[in-house]
Amino acid sequence: MELSLNHRKEGDRTVLEVGGEVDVYTAPKLREKLVELVGEGNYQIVVDMTKVEFLDSTGLGVLVGGLKRVRSHDGSLSLVCNQERILKIFRITGLTKVFPIHDTLDEALQDTE
Amino acid sequence: MDGVELRLPPDVAYVGLARLVVTVAARSAGLPGERIEDLKIAVSEAVANAIKSHLRHAVAAPIRLTFGTPNPGFFSVSVTDAGGGFDPAPAEDNGTRSWAAESGLGVTLIRGMADAVDFRRDEGMVVQMRFSLTHNGIDALKPPAT
Repeated sequence: MELSLNHRKEGDRTVLEVGGEVDVYTAPKLREKLVELVGEGNYQIVVDMTKVEFLDSTGLGVLVGGLKRVRSHDGSLSLVCNQERILKIFRITGLTKVFPIHDTLDEALQDTE
Repeated sequence: MDGVELRLPPDVAYVGLARLVVTVAARSAGLPGERIEDLKIAVSEAVANAIKSHLRHAVAAPIRLTFGTPNPGFFSVSVTDAGGGFDPAPAEDNGTRSWAAESGLGVTLIRGMADAVDFRRDEGMVVQMRFSLTHNGIDALKPPAT
């Protein structure tokens, strides 16, 4: 299964919908997309991972890299994820303490931090 | 099924294939469905590390992936490379790990997902992982016999 990436504006937020497999092979495409979005001035990013089938440590690293980028512009990067198998990966690596993680996109969009 | 061996070219494009083949073998060996995701992650991380090690050291030889049920009650996977090898960070409380370090997440995930894991330096690195076929692995936290 390939990686799919789609983004849109929702008010002052930019929602990046990620689907499919984010692994060592496909993660560079996600990195490019995040770099591009931040380069275009999108500093309030919500990564919707509802349709992610697989995520590995390279994908996690790319998300951490994205977070560092937006933070250097006083921005934010939050995640939407309700799949236990993906949440487990964030828990084991301690990254649940690093990213705001929401069950639904609505919840993420309402969070004003 | 014991001792199926797969040789993978050192190209990260093959990690997905490795994941797929090992998953199918583990299912037919009887690994419970809820453990398949753990296996997928651990295998992907170990194979990706091995391939990256070959690329870093310009080793053109394939990496070796063996899997099966040579130890009763366990699905075993072993990943062998001929790269530089590494000394894995000790198992740690993930509350204390620094998230700023983006590397090392792979080893943390392997430790977190497999019921038992052994990292051994040889020509390169040998990573042996075991997944319990019968329970959630609580009683299985001993290192695999070598």
